Amino acid sequence: MQTTKKSSGWHLRDVIMLTLIAIFFGFIFWIWAFAYDAVAATPLKPFANDITLGAWIMAGPLAGYLLRKAGASFLGEFLAAFAEMIIGSQWGVSTLLSGLIQGIGGELGFALTGYKKWNSFSLVLSTLTSTIVTFGYDLYASGYTSYSLGMLITLFIIRFLSIGFFGGVLVAAITKLIDKSGILNR
Amino acid sequence: MMDASIKIILALLISLEISFTTSISLNIALIVCAIIYLLCKRVNWKLMLYSIFLPILPAFGSWSSLYFYGTGDHIHMSFVLLTRIFAYIWIGSCFTFTTDIDKLLKSLEQNFRLPSTFVYGVLAAFNFLPRIAQEVKIIRLAARMRGEILHFYSPQIFFKAILTSLNWSNNLAQAMRSHGFAEGATRTHYHVIKIPIWNWFVALVIFIAVQIFLFMSPFH
Repeated sequence: MQTTKKSSGWHLRDVIMLTLIAIFFGFIFWIWAFAYDAVAATPLKPFANDITLGAWIMAGPLAGYLLRKAGASFLGEFLAAFAEMIIGSQWGVSTLLSGLIQGIGGELGFALTGYKKWNSFSLVLSTLTSTIVTFGYDLYASGYTSYSLGMLITLFIIRFLSIGFFGGVLVAAITKLIDKSGILNR
Repeated sequence: MMDASIKIILALLISLEISFTTSISLNIALIVCAIIYLLCKRVNWKLMLYSIFLPILPAFGSWSSLYFYGTGDHIHMSFVLLTRIFAYIWIGSCFTFTTDIDKLLKSLEQNFRLPSTFVYGVLAAFNFLPRIAQEVKIIRLAARMRGEILHFYSPQIFFKAILTSLNWSNNLAQAMRSHGFAEGATRTHYHVIKIPIWNWFVALVIFIAVQIFLFMSPFH
């Protein structure tokens, strides 16, 4: 949480909103874990992680888009992971580690635009950095180094599609609904 | 009593370490130590059972993926992952079953200078956890009354969740301000949480013991 030392830009309302959204996502993630199990129970097992991963990274880009602050994406993702762990995640304390890694991955995309662009370009960038960072982590944490190169490339593409759908297409659809409702132009 | 923030820092450090090391014996040793710790703390047996059964599917998933589809050292790695996932769960349980978010945030505020806006903002939101579970049900039921079925991949369910978060955050922030919460103001504390020196000492000993075990253990 050290990325948010600058408390001047963060108001009580922002913090509460971010956390509430994170908890909503924590619940949705928690339910989503059973989808992972459903995929893991089929011959698609080795792909379960990468097929389902996208849903877990949604909180970050959405929080970034909603609050438009440096660190919002990271914090949103991290808090959602924390909420998921408190609710009772099947991955235990590693949920928090994944949240940390995914938060950094998502945040990087927005950081690369210097926090100036909050549009589909920064979303695409965020999905790309998320894919690369989380994949790098899984090389070690999920033992991916034991896979052949062909398998790794397949997994990487599947992961990018999953993150692209959930963190890109779905997040864009949600932000469109938000924009249309005008709730952000208070 | 170990301090909550020390506990989570230690849990994070150890789990980060086992994410990058490939020692089956270390993972098993950590699981055994965690179980002993939780037994000493007399944690509810239902929670203990939960920690046994919950990771079975993801652990089996990771194990079988590597066992059947991996190359090279994959047999060893598959068992590393199997034990690693159980270790994650049990290390996590040492934190979640013996302390709570209230203690953690207050300790972080008083000992690690986490800004109070964050501490009380996060705390206020976490008190809504049961209501959020309820709200997700309400959103889905309300849609069903209109003949729509909302899946977790429907943008509407997230949109509604965000709307609710916006509303509640406005109300909560206002309520807290009217009760005298001032952003950035220095606060005094009714419950003073000081981390005793022995907490740091125990944490350091555990961390060093993990390193020694890792390098000295004849089994990997």
